[in-house]
Amino acid sequence: MNEHKNDNEEAQSAVSRRGFLKGIGGGFIGSAAVGTGLLGEQAAAAVTGPPTMSGPQRITLHINGTQRQLDVEPRTTLLEALRDRLQLTGSKEVCDRGQCGACTVLIDGVAVLACMTLAADVGQREVTTVEGLAPEGQMNDLQQAFVAQDALMCGFCTPGFVMAGEALLRTNPTPTAGEIRMGVSGNVCRCGTYPKVFEAIEVTAKKRRS
Amino acid sequence: MASWKPYDEMKVMGQRQPRLDGPEKVTGRARYTYDQRPPGMLYGVLLTSPHAAARVVAIDADRARALPGVRAVLTDIHPTGNVRFAGEYVAAVAAVNKQVALDAVALIEVNWQTRAHVVTLWEAIDEDAPRVFADKDNVTESERGDGDVDAGFSQAETIVEAEFFTQVQTHSPLETHGSVAAWDGDELTVWDSTQAVHGVREGLAKALEMPANKVRVICHHMGGGFGAKLGPGAYSVIAAKLARQAGAPVQLMLSRKDQHLSVGNRPDSWQQLKLGATKDGQFTAFECTTWGSGGIGGRGGVSQPYVYSFPAWKQQHHDVATNTGGARAFRAPGRPQACFAMEQIIDEMAWKLGLDPLDVRLRNDGNETRHEQWRIGAERIDWPRWRRREPGAGAGPIKRGVGMGASIWFTGGRGTKAQMDILSDGTVEVRCGTQDLGTGTRTLVAAVAAEELGLPIAAINARIGDSDFPYSGGSGGSTTAPSVAPAIKNTAEKAKAELAIVVARHLGVAADTLSFVDGTVRVASGQTLSWREACAMLGANAVSVQGEWQEGLSGSNVAGCQFAEVEVDTETGRISVIKVVAVADCGLIVDRLTTESQVNGAVIQGISYALLEERIMDSETGRMVNADFENYKVLGALETPEIDVILYDQPERGVIGIGEPPTIPTSAAVANAVYHAIGVRLRDLPMTPDKVLRALEGA
Amino acid sequence: MVPFDLVSPRNLRDVAESLADGRGEILAGGTDLLDRLKERIDPPARVVNIKSLKELYGITEDSGLSLGPLTTMTEVAGNDRVRHQYPALAEAALSVATPQLRNMATLGGNLCQRPRCWYFRSNDYPCLKKGGSVCYAVTGRNKYHAIFGGGPSYIVHPSDTAPALIALGAQLEIHGATGKRMLPLHDFFQGPRENLLHENRLQRDELITRVQLPPAKESTRSTFLKFREKQSLDFAISSVAVALDMDGDTVRDGRIVLGGVAPVPWSVPAAVQQLQGRRLGSAIDDAAEAAVEGARPLDENGFKVTLTRNLLRRALQQLAQGKADAR
Repeated sequence: MNEHKNDNEEAQSAVSRRGFLKGIGGGFIGSAAVGTGLLGEQAAAAVTGPPTMSGPQRITLHINGTQRQLDVEPRTTLLEALRDRLQLTGSKEVCDRGQCGACTVLIDGVAVLACMTLAADVGQREVTTVEGLAPEGQMNDLQQAFVAQDALMCGFCTPGFVMAGEALLRTNPTPTAGEIRMGVSGNVCRCGTYPKVFEAIEVTAKKRRS
Repeated sequence: MASWKPYDEMKVMGQRQPRLDGPEKVTGRARYTYDQRPPGMLYGVLLTSPHAAARVVAIDADRARALPGVRAVLTDIHPTGNVRFAGEYVAAVAAVNKQVALDAVALIEVNWQTRAHVVTLWEAIDEDAPRVFADKDNVTESERGDGDVDAGFSQAETIVEAEFFTQVQTHSPLETHGSVAAWDGDELTVWDSTQAVHGVREGLAKALEMPANKVRVICHHMGGGFGAKLGPGAYSVIAAKLARQAGAPVQLMLSRKDQHLSVGNRPDSWQQLKLGATKDGQFTAFECTTWGSGGIGGRGGVSQPYVYSFPAWKQQHHDVATNTGGARAFRAPGRPQACFAMEQIIDEMAWKLGLDPLDVRLRNDGNETRHEQWRIGAERIDWPRWRRREPGAGAGPIKRGVGMGASIWFTGGRGTKAQMDILSDGTVEVRCGTQDLGTGTRTLVAAVAAEELGLPIAAINARIGDSDFPYSGGSGGSTTAPSVAPAIKNTAEKAKAELAIVVARHLGVAADTLSFVDGTVRVASGQTLSWREACAMLGANAVSVQGEWQEGLSGSNVAGCQFAEVEVDTETGRISVIKVVAVADCGLIVDRLTTESQVNGAVIQGISYALLEERIMDSETGRMVNADFENYKVLGALETPEIDVILYDQPERGVIGIGEPPTIPTSAAVANAVYHAIGVRLRDLPMTPDKVLRALEGA
Repeated sequence: MVPFDLVSPRNLRDVAESLADGRGEILAGGTDLLDRLKERIDPPARVVNIKSLKELYGITEDSGLSLGPLTTMTEVAGNDRVRHQYPALAEAALSVATPQLRNMATLGGNLCQRPRCWYFRSNDYPCLKKGGSVCYAVTGRNKYHAIFGGGPSYIVHPSDTAPALIALGAQLEIHGATGKRMLPLHDFFQGPRENLLHENRLQRDELITRVQLPPAKESTRSTFLKFREKQSLDFAISSVAVALDMDGDTVRDGRIVLGGVAPVPWSVPAAVQQLQGRRLGSAIDDAAEAAVEGARPLDENGFKVTLTRNLLRRALQQLAQGKADAR
């Protein structure tokens, strides 16, 4: 099992690990230096125990190509951070339990659920919300196709579907009909727009190929 | 009487028009009630009853009030303190963020005195059952009928008797019910996720004992309602009270669990049916005994006899109270339940008599429109081929079949008023106090106005969803399109007439020599002005007129029929719907694209009702155990079949509503298809794998 | 959520120390943990975010295959080696939840997730699994509950990958305060009679650090079938994982493990016995019958017996027909 480093090696490679952390989470560690009242305790704790966030703390989120600073608690979800702190209300709260896909965002290009992600766990990774797919006042091709095909009704699930569709097309530019269905199978639509969602994704896939 | 211009002369109406608020919705810019964030807004959370029947003896909220970040606490929100279902609101908190509000709610201690409860229809009809209301029986009986049923059955050559059950379905709009309330002195603004901005204004004013003209209700976008958001909600009143106490705006959105429990549902039903027919399939009599439970709300009605003509019929109905959240109107109230049972017993009769189920329907269907629709649908699903297959005849464990069902809905609507401004720069604004549930109402308003003014749809700024705008009723009963479209046309007509007078005066011609076509104003003599040039003649006197609903532009009684092809896996019990052909009556179509979406959505909701959705109650504790989206199963992408939507144009009937009728027959068509596939009848909704396997084992 | 401390351990010792007092919970994908935190079920004092530990990632090839517990379901399902040599695992991972949840949920988390029972998942019910005195499912609504091994609690183990991994003979590497140990996955789980509060035998300071699969044999054929009411999202109502060591068409040995039907992934050696030494195609019905022998359904879940039998029959038929990718 040579891929497994022992604890000492791990502790010694703190520098590279810090770099690694940037990539995958624990962002509040890096941002502990952004002066909050907790800084002293944090620094002291680091000598004996692992870095610990134990109350409100300022973090930096990389969202839609910009850096946004905000105060969060350990328990603040990414969805709350987006909607309640940053006014990015495109990602919707519908079930708040990971069962509907309405809060789908991309983290480093991968579709995940903001309601089941802690804001403090996002770290330096890039978050893309539905507001970030196209410049203000514009739509990307998939969004245009959603409108053209009428792949929305009340529209409350729509940002989630758009993000799931976008994630699908980025990982699989030539999806089959079955793969399109599978790609949006984590999203619930109560109005019943599924058939037109399938069409919108299919049309966009074709367009992007040509 | 008012009339529409000929259908084939229409440039905007009847076309495939992408909805106008699409760009806002797909980019996340559309702000729903859930997304309102007025400065200083607090987050409200409700404390709900965990008990199905209990009295609130005392509430101690001191610890909640003391929690940092808490700005308002209400402990007197329940009108009587006598709780009748698990999920009733008993206290509320507003705090600086949702987490703190939830912390505060967890700190409130309630001293409960519990009582015995009944949460299912079966328990509630027992003679010894605890009473839901102390002063009345759980069961209220009523009887309706027509003709001599005994004589009808004595003429029958075959009689079929059968029993059917349907479940409680919750509306499950993706945006839960809720409000944002903000006070400015003694004036109140409420953003509400509602199907009725004017209704909510009136209701709120009454509940808060304040003048209605100091209340404004706004709903620019809303995340679905399906009948559950037609009235003012207790949560709106609570939000307003919290906001008053806190001195800051308060958002109170229900949790998903609150939504399942407290803001309506489609009641369940138990139906015992008896149908008599001659040997060639002519119905002679129909009789049924039905039960339905709308929880504490009544409304457990089952609309029998559904659709077909019976020379004699009788219904004995029992409305049953239980300790569960009250039923509310849900997309064609009472109809899907009735249709599921009726279409199956007719099917049963047909197969028993060795007749074609379609022929039996045609023989007993008095609706001429639907006769043609039956013919179209049968052709599209290839019924002549399917009818030759005996029920359950397929080889192998996976079997296919086709079934059918019909619908009718009264629809119709009136009463809407609207206002239009034509400004001297050529811009047009139309304002109407209706609202868009996702049905496309905003687009409809603009399309009708554009058509009348001879403008492209993009030239119209259609503003709706605000109680400051002229009155329109609640968006329910498929009444919105037939109520709103005529009012918009009338308003635009008047505005056009005013503009014409001004233009005519400027040009020195008679106003009736002007016509408004393709963004221009044409004079009979040959002169043509651009719309902008014409409007510039208004100068400082913009056109501003009000119009209203007119007779002759809308219709009622919407027919339709559906055929479903299903696949049943007899080893696992899974039913998959392969294809649905939906023939939908739509009168004069305002927007073909959004109409198609409405039918798709209705069919999909119907399949979801047929196969998946069910409120599951725990009798002992009196609670719903699946108040989420994991175990309350709303149909997803992988369950969506091919849907062949056939819009049956009848422009001569004017504009009609399409929201409800296409959801009615889907579960029945699926159930009949299941019988056709496996030769065993499923009589209990939803048709989940456990029931399929049990039915097959019992066969 | 009740407030908690969010700990970012620097190494496995930090993890063990953070968990030692029993008041810590591990955060990996978060898809199970956040659900419990939001419902305030047994709220922890601290949440230990192990995503900073890079040794917990990745799939590495040795004689067999070594999977880091932070490997996501998407990565497991998409890994070529897994797909070709351990198809039952790939199929199981692909059957989990939804695309978004598969992007988040980890292999370790899938093995350690808590039950989905609706009484357990709601703070309204002080049930046996939360230290209470009643299993509400016994007399309550139990359509999705256990048909095997139930009592006094009737939860089912929700993992899809566990049955597949057990069938494939997986071992776990586990780290705690006193060092590491290896444990066959089969012995990892424990039923309610052994321990009501914990579905597995991890000590409170312990963490799964590796999931080890034995070398794939040319003669092994494996598959996984899952049945759910709703294809989009659902947990298994019943699942079957089968790994058979074949001598041509004849079954030498193997493992069959059922999911979603018992408080632990439910191995059915009796079914394997029916197959041993026989041509697979001729022994399928006997094995399927043997698998559900002794099932004790509750009021509403009798259908799971029929369903499970038929599902296993279907899985064995597919293996007998030799699906191209099912070795």
